[in-house]
Amino acid sequence: MDIVLTVMREDTFWRILLFCHFVTAVALLAAITLQAVAVLMPARQVVGNFIDRSPMPAASYATLIAILYVVQALLGAWIYVKYRTYVRIPMEQLRHFWTVGSFEFKEHIVTMGFGLLPAYWYFWRQPRSAEHIVIRKWVTIFLLISVWYAFIVGHVANDFRGVGS
Amino acid sequence: MTQTLDAGERFSRLDSSETISAPTSATRTSVKFGTFAITFSIAFALLYTVFERLNWPLFTYQPAVGKVYFWLHRPLSGEGPPMYWFGWIALTIPSAIAVGWIATIIPAQWLRRATFFCCVLAGLWPASLEALRIYITDYATFDADFLNSVWVAAIPALVVTAALTYLVPSKSAERVWTSWLLIMPIGGLVVLGYSLLQPWFLR
Repeated sequence: MDIVLTVMREDTFWRILLFCHFVTAVALLAAITLQAVAVLMPARQVVGNFIDRSPMPAASYATLIAILYVVQALLGAWIYVKYRTYVRIPMEQLRHFWTVGSFEFKEHIVTMGFGLLPAYWYFWRQPRSAEHIVIRKWVTIFLLISVWYAFIVGHVANDFRGVGS
Repeated sequence: MTQTLDAGERFSRLDSSETISAPTSATRTSVKFGTFAITFSIAFALLYTVFERLNWPLFTYQPAVGKVYFWLHRPLSGEGPPMYWFGWIALTIPSAIAVGWIATIIPAQWLRRATFFCCVLAGLWPASLEALRIYITDYATFDADFLNSVWVAAIPALVVTAALTYLVPSKSAERVWTSWLLIMPIGGLVVLGYSLLQPWFLR
């Protein structure tokens, strides 16, 4: 950390880290949204044996999503240290209590999603079991909601004090 | 595509009929991993909620001074705000791994019932405590403050949970097992979200 700070200013470092967090968030959002859409709107059998294919194979994204989720959570945990001292205290002083509360809830929903990852990955691994179709769908939707919630609340917090604010 | 997959899965199951009668080590490993993964995820949600509510972090981080303290540390003057979140997760992960590992070595039927017991108890214990508190403040005609205890609340919660666990048919316990994967995180989020109402949302 000290080596990095000899090359750039501290606030520049945190802004770069926040930007990486944002880029990873967009990648994760795209992947989990596509997978959830594929799960919620499965391909139809049009006629005979011909199947109207989904735009992407949902299963192939599972490992990528799990890895991105972990990376994103680690990046978020790192930035959270700065948030706790540099962002949350002025937020409280300016009485932005809803923003603080929403961010507190973000910690919890992201953690719950993190805990679901082993099961999520297991349900999506090959060969997929027919008995887990329903739970696989709902676990994916839970992760989708957690990622979208985290993204929106993180964006609001960033607007308070972050990149471009 | 779903139908293709379903068909594929059916063929895969047909193909593996011999495998079912004589499970290979790969199949056994896969089943064990599945048991571990599902139990880990259920236990993670439950334990995280419990550790957060009881405020049991494995360590406390003081970001302003860059210090780490074992277990719960109330900040000294000049140390700035403490961070417990890392500590709750750090305690939850090994605990859930331990639970997941135990799940792989006990019989499946016991596991389903134990999961049922723990998850129902996790719901009934705080509900019992809340009911006792309502009774103390609104209905008790004597000094009932001794009832306002997590350990007193544990007694009816344990009795009812034990009875339900005994009565629930094995098939139901098995059917509901993977459902705990969603019930526990959502239930945990309801509890944790409720705890945020007073300090932030209703302020």
